[in-house]
Order: sequence, then structure tokens, then C-alpha cells
Amino acid sequence: MIRRWFLACLMASHFSLAFADGEAQQDPWMLLDKAAHAARDLSYKGIFMYQSGTNSRSIEITHMNAGQGEYSRIVMLDGLPQELLSQGSDIVIFSPRHEKIVIEKRRGKNLFPALLPVNLEQVKASYKAKITGQERVAGREGFIVLLEPRDDYRYGYRLLTDKEYGLLLKATTLSQQSEVIEQIAFNQLNLLNMSDMEWFKPQVDPGKPYVMEEEVPDGLAENSQGWNLEQLPPGYKQIDHIKRMVPGKKTAVNQLIFSDGLSSVSLFIEPLVKGARPKVGQTTVGPTNFYANVNNGHQIVVVGEVPQATVAQIANSVHFKQ
Amino acid sequence: MKDQISALIDDEISLHEAEYLYTALKAEGESRECWMTYHLIGDAMRGSPTFKKDLRHRIMQQIDAEPVVLAPKNARPAVEQAATKPSALWSVAASMAAVMFVGMIVLQQQPQQAEDILPMEIAQNLPAEYLQAHQSVVPSSAAYYIQSAAYTERAK
Repeated sequence: MIRRWFLACLMASHFSLAFADGEAQQDPWMLLDKAAHAARDLSYKGIFMYQSGTNSRSIEITHMNAGQGEYSRIVMLDGLPQELLSQGSDIVIFSPRHEKIVIEKRRGKNLFPALLPVNLEQVKASYKAKITGQERVAGREGFIVLLEPRDDYRYGYRLLTDKEYGLLLKATTLSQQSEVIEQIAFNQLNLLNMSDMEWFKPQVDPGKPYVMEEEVPDGLAENSQGWNLEQLPPGYKQIDHIKRMVPGKKTAVNQLIFSDGLSSVSLFIEPLVKGARPKVGQTTVGPTNFYANVNNGHQIVVVGEVPQATVAQIANSVHFKQ
Repeated sequence: MKDQISALIDDEISLHEAEYLYTALKAEGESRECWMTYHLIGDAMRGSPTFKKDLRHRIMQQIDAEPVVLAPKNARPAVEQAATKPSALWSVAASMAAVMFVGMIVLQQQPQQAEDILPMEIAQNLPAEYLQAHQSVVPSSAAYYIQSAAYTERAK
């Protein structure tokens, strides 16, 4: 009797779980939340293709999370054999350049398939989401979630999430006219069940010298609090501020990074050097928009995979303190 | 050999086991290069303090600590010579030189000043270094995958 009651309970809980699961698939934000976590929590290996206009490149990714944090290795299969190894938010990039290999260290990138942030609140504020259908990619069935911008300051995204594992299979950036700006999609994807770290190392070219990238020397970086940012485009927040060296320039350049959770923009501010020709105006190259102007003796350049209005407004939000 | 060096650096095999590696390293130039490379990569991936931000600063401090010769050696005798031989010819030559010198400065500065006034359309000369800087640090930029090279590289 007790056993039968227990079985009934078990079955009831099973049914309610199944029901909850079915309901979850009706909510696009639940799918996106699952995609954000799956990309970070699962172990997988695959090859994906990046495309923008006539540019395309195949990339291999190996990602492991065996409960000890995230490890990944990304290898460019076309062009220069650039490699990227990451542990958590620490990233080491190996780039062949001229006759040497340059080692660069970076922090926290939301690289495909971990394109979506774990916290979707900022994305929800700027985009509407809806499930528009199903599609099969790399031998996997997925749900299409359309992210429509709530205003003209960002592009739209069509995302395909794996039915079974939730992982992002494909991401397409769409202009206001629904043209494809860029696309990234798996050609091949396998889930892994492994815990050895044998794969987590770069392929070393013993014939070339390895060097660390050039750092910003102390004292050369200009003190940066000479300006305020007023009236940024809605939804965009400053997420980082770094100082970097640029070839041919003696002072470090300030790079401020803004994001709405999905789209990102870089704002560069540097003092105009006497004799240097300032840049002004705007242009578009592939998926990227540029805007430049001169403000209070400083060169301002804004770069981003966002609409022209967004780069222009970010550039014009810079106000120097008098 | 490479795998063994790598294992040694990663503490996967003990120094005792790898004693022969040292002998080999001393003998072979290529292996020694390899040893250095693996160390650099290992350091980069482990966040070794060797490459902390203040390394350059520390080196600069060392250079600063070196004694510096302040006075250029040739300057004083030249001034003394001029002072001890006052002549009309000298002053004419000097003023000619001064005029020429000023003229040269003006000539050199003119095109630069003209450029200062005339800014350049960004479309005419695309700032690739900014694009690369953007793509190499920005999160969720898919275009990261087509960047040609990071931009901190200086011309060789």
C-alpha cells in the first residue's frame, strides 16, 4: 500500500516536471537563460563558421566544465593559426605575427556560443523575445528565438538554441531592414564526457620566438577623468575602461567599452598630437560602424557592431570638464 | 623531447626524473629555446608575477638609478671660444644663421599647421588599429574571429 502511494507520488512529480518542461519551451527567455548556462556548464567540442559579407572563417572550440570551472581552447582553422585558451575569465591569446608569436592576456569575453550573459535583465530591457520556429543545424534540432530591438540603437538577433541541451547553435545579427549583418553557426558539435586536461595547451611552434605583448608603461597613460559622459544611448552601460598603446603613438589611448548585454561599442579618447591630422566623419565597414570627431583638443573615435545612430550618440555624449 | 620539457614545467615529472633533460638542454640549442618558450607560455597561463605590470617600471627605476652625465662636454669650450673672439663678422654670421634657422622652422611647420586645420574624413583612411582594439577586447563581438592581428604590435 505504502509502496503504491510512493509510486503514485513519484509519477505525479514526474508528470509535473514534464509539464513544467513543456511550459518552459513556450517562454523564449527561459530558452535564452538555458542557452547562457549551457554554454558555460557543459563540456563540448565543435567547429563553427563565422560569416560577415565575404569574410568567413572556421573555428574549432573545445570547452570543458567538469565542476572545476570553465576551460576552453579556440583555434582558428583558416588563415593564421591563432589560438585562444581560457580559464574562467582569464584568456591567453597566441597570435602569429611576422616571424614571432605574440602572447596577449585578456579578461572576460562572452564568446560564441556563450554569447548571452548569464544575467539577462539588461538584455530584457532593450530587446523583445519570441519563439518563431524550429531549425536543424549541425545535425541538431533547435528552437529559433528572435530578439527584436525595442529602439533603433541596436540590431536584432536570431538565435537557435538546442532542443535537448539548450546550447546556442547559431546566432544571426540582423539590421533594421532585416538584412544579415553577421552570422555564426556550428557545423559540427559533440558533447563530451571527459575530465583529462591533455587538450588544454597551445600547439607550440618551436621555430618561432614567443613574446608577451607590449604593456602600457607607467606614467604614460593620460589621466582620464577629464570628461563626463552625458546622454548615452538607452540601454548602454560602461562595462570597462582600459588604456592601451597604439602603433605610432607615444601616449596611451583610453578605450571605454559599452554594452547593452548583447551589442558592444568601443569609445576611444586621446589627446590630439600637434602635427597629426585629426579624423572626422562616419563610415561603415562590414558589420562595423565608425564615428570620429574632435572635441576639446581630443580625438574621439567610436567603433561598434551597432547602428550608425548609436556610435554617433556615444561620441557626442563626451563632455570635457572646463 | 618537447612533451617531456612541457611535463617538467607543469610539474608532471620530477626534476630527479628529468635530470637527463638538463644535460640534453645544455647540448642542444633548439631544446633550450623550447624550454624558454614553454616557460613563457606557462607563465602567461599561470599569471606569473614575472610579467606583472610593474616589470617595466622596475627596469626603468634601475636605469634611473644609474649615474647620468648632465653637462654635454663640447658645449662649454664652444661658448668660451665665441666669447673670447668678439668680431663684427661673427655676429653677422650668427644673425644669418639665426634667420635661416627660424626660416627652416617656419617652413617645416607650415604643412603641419595646414593639416591641423583640415581634418581628414575617417572613410578615407580607416583607423584599422581602432577596429582591432575594439574587436580584441569587446565581449560578445563575433567579429573577434576575423581580426587579423592584435593592434599593440609596433612596426618592425
